[in-house]
Amino acid sequence: MRRLVILLAGISVLAAGCGGSSTSSSPKNLVIAVDVPVTGSPYIAQTIRQGVELATSNLNGGGGLRVGNQTYKLRVKLYDNHGSARQAVEDTRRALDAGAVTIVTDGTGVDATWQLAKQKGVSLAIAYDGGSGLVDAEKRPNVFRIAPTNHGIAFRYAEYLIPKKLKVGLLSDDSAYGREGAADIAKAFSENPGSVALKLTLPAGQADLSAQILRAKRSGATALLVWGQPPTIAAVLSAARSIGWQVPVYTPPTGADPFIRQQLADHPKWVDGLTFASGRPTAEVGTGPFTNFQSQYEAAYGPDPVGVKTSSGQKVVQPPEFGMYSYDFIHVLVAALTHAGSVDPAKVTSALNQVTAQGANGDQRGFNEHNHDGVVDDDIYFARFHDMTYQPVQDDPLSATLPPIVQTR
Amino acid sequence: MRRALAAAALVAAAAPAAALADTQQVLLPGPTPYPTASPPLTTVTPPVGATLTFRVHASSNQRVTAGVDSAGRVVSVRALQNLHLTGTGDYLIVVPAPVLDVQAGPGSQSQPGQRRGQILWAGFAAKRKLLSADATLRPGPVAASLPLRLRAARDGDRYTLTLANATEVSQVAFQGTAAKPELTSLLDQTRRQSLAHERLTPVYVTISGLVSQRPQKARIAAPLLVTGELRFPQAPTSATGGVVDGSSVRFSFVLGDDQPLARRVEVIGGGGEPRLRVEVTPTAVVRGLRPPGGAASWRSSGLPAAALLRRLIDTRMELVRSDQYQGFLANPDSLGLNTTSYVYETAAARRAAPVAAESSGGSNGTLVLLVAIGGAIVAAAAGLVAWAHS
Repeated sequence: MRRLVILLAGISVLAAGCGGSSTSSSPKNLVIAVDVPVTGSPYIAQTIRQGVELATSNLNGGGGLRVGNQTYKLRVKLYDNHGSARQAVEDTRRALDAGAVTIVTDGTGVDATWQLAKQKGVSLAIAYDGGSGLVDAEKRPNVFRIAPTNHGIAFRYAEYLIPKKLKVGLLSDDSAYGREGAADIAKAFSENPGSVALKLTLPAGQADLSAQILRAKRSGATALLVWGQPPTIAAVLSAARSIGWQVPVYTPPTGADPFIRQQLADHPKWVDGLTFASGRPTAEVGTGPFTNFQSQYEAAYGPDPVGVKTSSGQKVVQPPEFGMYSYDFIHVLVAALTHAGSVDPAKVTSALNQVTAQGANGDQRGFNEHNHDGVVDDDIYFARFHDMTYQPVQDDPLSATLPPIVQTR
Repeated sequence: MRRALAAAALVAAAAPAAALADTQQVLLPGPTPYPTASPPLTTVTPPVGATLTFRVHASSNQRVTAGVDSAGRVVSVRALQNLHLTGTGDYLIVVPAPVLDVQAGPGSQSQPGQRRGQILWAGFAAKRKLLSADATLRPGPVAASLPLRLRAARDGDRYTLTLANATEVSQVAFQGTAAKPELTSLLDQTRRQSLAHERLTPVYVTISGLVSQRPQKARIAAPLLVTGELRFPQAPTSATGGVVDGSSVRFSFVLGDDQPLARRVEVIGGGGEPRLRVEVTPTAVVRGLRPPGGAASWRSSGLPAAALLRRLIDTRMELVRSDQYQGFLANPDSLGLNTTSYVYETAAARRAAPVAAESSGGSNGTLVLLVAIGGAIVAAAAGLVAWAHS
């Protein structure tokens, strides 16, 4: 009898050893790290974090994520990189020690952090910085991005502006963002040097750019393409308009930053006509998907107020564009986790190349073995400000197909 | 096979109706269904949303280059696909293919993406856009979808190259009683479309009485226009099936379309192995649709109606098969036009791959480990049982 008991115990031990199909009932935590400049660029940091949290809370609210035989709850750990590469390295180490399966970042310090993450097979997801060198599917196989790329924006600007026969003044500030953009813009316009009136570097953070703008005007520029931080763009508009120069001003996505409108709130007409390029927030399917996402976002966090009003007194809010990108990445990550059937970061990183998920704007988001940019160049659109809100332009084929988004409350 | 069964089911379904009606309209083959699943190549199910909207249309032209060894076996395959988009709107295109690598082809206005078994395109087309993919494919799974089989052999001073049409399939076909004027008119229409290299348009034939399945399946092959050249180190002494031109032997013929499905080129001399280049194009049915006696129309044909119906169905199935091979890689627009030319070339000599070392440390090693673990578990269980009964 005793031997029979021991036999049964032995069989049960063997069965447990072979128990690949057994199901674990209690959910485990799966860490997603968010490393953003909370104290450097609070708006960007907030919208990226909230995009991630919205996606994870939706998934957790639905019971969590099933990977293989285990259920997981996604847990977000927030790190503040202060916009410093050195701090980003420190944050990455801490996130890896916490067992993060991925690190969502604005892009700060990726040149230094990607190798650290790669050693653990962990992916980095950039949700803001479009710098051309940051993402390289071959050399940096663990770096992914869902955000409009500088290369795509520069290429689209060349495509958009050159046929207009404008003499474009290419201005950029001396921040890392400005220098990277200037390089891409120079490349995009290199085939048509006759379209360029001048190239000028502006000091980032300087409020008075009168001298530089006067020089641009004297060069014969009939348009300005300003690649810089929001304060630089505000300073350019201020300098040009204050001397009565109504030159059209074009910018990268920073042109939509609330800071510019806040700075120029006393002169709303100075903002009118400002055109920026960015990833399109709506797709061919219409505004439905994005509006649905925006409603969820605002229900969870409230609208992002710009801090200005329209001429009719309506409060202007900022659509959560960059929150959409981090939100979309989490959905692609979930598809990769399911595809991999594992939470092993290396397997998940590999699976990111093989999956597609529907994005918040109705577009399909995904990466592949050759391209780790989830916003394709073709999806760059142009929008123009009027009365503190913006609408897609009508003189570009893609932009003309996009419906405007309501930005007042 | 599935499509053949579907065709058979269609015929069977039509039969009871005949009991109720004196005549019925029966759909003739063309432009579809294709008799086999591939081509176009299939590997995976495209993700949801991977399709062209009604605003954007695509035509595809392709050049498939198959590298062959000295025996004529396919050792490499490369496909250059140009997708010409027209219209304004978004596109998300997945072209299934067992792809090893893909790059943008000449003039491409976008970069292709690559996933396991997929070539991807995503973006926005403003009126016109060229998407060109230069893909290296796995030869193993692809070779069976190529239209031509080559077999080369040397026996002393004699070199023989056999070229065989590999598109032949058996297909279910129907029979019944139709009126000659309608049949001759449909034959003339089919001939016009074939000679103009147009895709067939769907047409019906009126059958009186019962529609039934032919007792024997039809043997159908796409007509292939084959032109080639064998370049020898020295001038050959003689050649059959080709023409000696200096140190080369040139040949050109159609495989199919009431002509043999295989040809042989025999060369004496040449001083060694030739470099081979064969270009193959799926082509029109010409002979099969030529009216008897060189007449301009089938109207004056003296053939009985049953023979005319049979000819009509068979030639249309050949044209469908030819159209199928015009799209080696899939066109995302099911109504879009496709053209494909296939080139077979002598591949550069390759060094033998050290497969033995790789396999011993790879799957075999894993297998040995699994067997060992399984054996240990069984042995442990057996030991416990034996001990319990001792």
